[in-house]
Amino acid sequence: MEILFLNALANGILLGGVLALLAFGLNLIFGVVKVIHMAYGQCVMLGMYIIYTLRSLYEVPLVAAFAVAVGAMALWGALLHLLVIRPLLGAERLNQLLALAGLIIVFENLAHVVWGADLRGVRVDLPVVSLGNIYLKTSNLLAFLGALAVLGILYFVLQRTYVGLAIRAIAQDTECARLMGINPGRIYLLTLTIGGALTGLIAAFFSPIYSVHPHFGGSFTLMAFIIVVLGGMGNLAGGFLGAFIIGIVTSVAAVFTSTELAEILALVIFILVVLVRPQGLLGTRGAR
Amino acid sequence: MRHWVTAGVLLGVLLFPLLKVSPYVLHIATLIFIWAFIATAWSYMGRFGLVSLGHGAFIGIGAYTAGLMFNLEGLSPWIGMLLGGALAALLALLVGWACFRFGVMGDYFALLTLALGEIVSLLLVAFRDHTGGSLGFTLKRVGTSWLYMQFEDKTHFYYLALAFLVGALFLWRWIDRSKMQKALRAIGEDEVAAATLGVTTIRYKLKITMISAFVAAVGGVLYAQYVTYLNPHTLAGVGPSLDIAFKAILGGMFSLWGPTVGTGIIVLLEEYIRVNYGAKYIGLSQIAYGIALVSLIIFLPKGIYGSLEERFRRRKTPAKN
Repeated sequence: MEILFLNALANGILLGGVLALLAFGLNLIFGVVKVIHMAYGQCVMLGMYIIYTLRSLYEVPLVAAFAVAVGAMALWGALLHLLVIRPLLGAERLNQLLALAGLIIVFENLAHVVWGADLRGVRVDLPVVSLGNIYLKTSNLLAFLGALAVLGILYFVLQRTYVGLAIRAIAQDTECARLMGINPGRIYLLTLTIGGALTGLIAAFFSPIYSVHPHFGGSFTLMAFIIVVLGGMGNLAGGFLGAFIIGIVTSVAAVFTSTELAEILALVIFILVVLVRPQGLLGTRGAR
Repeated sequence: MRHWVTAGVLLGVLLFPLLKVSPYVLHIATLIFIWAFIATAWSYMGRFGLVSLGHGAFIGIGAYTAGLMFNLEGLSPWIGMLLGGALAALLALLVGWACFRFGVMGDYFALLTLALGEIVSLLLVAFRDHTGGSLGFTLKRVGTSWLYMQFEDKTHFYYLALAFLVGALFLWRWIDRSKMQKALRAIGEDEVAAATLGVTTIRYKLKITMISAFVAAVGGVLYAQYVTYLNPHTLAGVGPSLDIAFKAILGGMFSLWGPTVGTGIIVLLEEYIRVNYGAKYIGLSQIAYGIALVSLIIFLPKGIYGSLEERFRRRKTPAKN
């Protein structure tokens, strides 16, 4: 029992690392552009399909396939911004939400038409790492370490570079930043491109762990929302904490009950947070 | 003029099955009626700014309550319909009260209801011993029976679904004439101002949410009775919930006929592509539908019928000022 719990805990922490990266992308887009990217998990799914196609049809080396996926998804993010998000910048919040939710239908069916409904996976044989009684899959461990490294780089870019300063300025006060000579349109495009590249990276981390299918993205989009809301919308540190809470809770709950009940538990936490503490665990703003 | 057009359309629809049309055409028409009924129920609250992305929860509860009570206890779906509707309204009361009490509105309300729809879907899968899980279950066949709402001839269900849709449209009109409509419109425009003027905002919002949930659940029962098969992925969860909202929005949720027109367009589009391009490319129709939807939200935020209606009105009554 105790060993089972420790294993679930360790895997939950590893899952939390990748979820933190997922939530970071969603959070960044929300914080800067102020739109909720309803189809974020679906973008990850498309990235995974790209990796699958490159691997299985063209036998491209794994790392090269990952790089292509990151580049392609960055372009995809930029394209989404130009075609969908930019025309909606002046629209009502709800219309933005619904239009992006409409993209879920487009992406999932695109995957369905191109790749079919079957599970598609990239086979990677990696040994299992053991720490005493705790067994960890190398793919999970690599994903965790990779996600943390990427988060570190992103943190550095946001805090220490001029572009990062501009992004943070836009997130805090768009009008004021505009007066300081920052072009919001360009920062929005950049943010969506970074967000897109992140979906490609997450796809690379997920590919050795999960098989992909057209509805793969749905649960991860919801998971990312739950984390972002838990940490407070636009609050990057809160999202980091939230990711580990949700990773551990779902992982432990899935071992002791069932995967459905674990997901229900995460959704119930989400609803309670929206009701009782909409600013999130680390949020301070009183207004929503 | 408007009334004559409405009467003409209704008469045409009533006489339609007499033209000896194929069962397939009747089947499509029936599907349009049922989903238009549900989309109209969604718009009851949607048009007052209560945009729910979780109506799958209500149709799922309705359909599964009636379906399980019929299969296990032999209860007539007419009673199951009321029971399922009551359960859905109860859930709406609980969730609605919590949302309105804590002031959850706009996109937070949309996200919260989205989670609700997914929870119901997951619960239906989790209780697989009773619900058949992801595979769903079929209703026991009893031939043609009004008591058990099963018919071998498509015409019966065509008229039944049509009657329900007309009922839902009348309910819309009733809401329009009631005091509730004025209160809700005031709330939709400026909740704080309405509350200051003495409008009991929470009560009115709860009332419309419960009505919407009840009617949607009834629609769920209708759909399940018609296809005699229940599945958590077609009756609850994110997919169906979004579909309902989109049908209403595509047509225009602020107009009486909007949700019906939107449903008609979407169902016909799906069928057209499915028939012409085969089942392999069934996703293509959905892609076209998704793209159409996103473009419509960008270019016609009031929906197809809603925008047409607005243009029509503007031409008829030139600006007064």
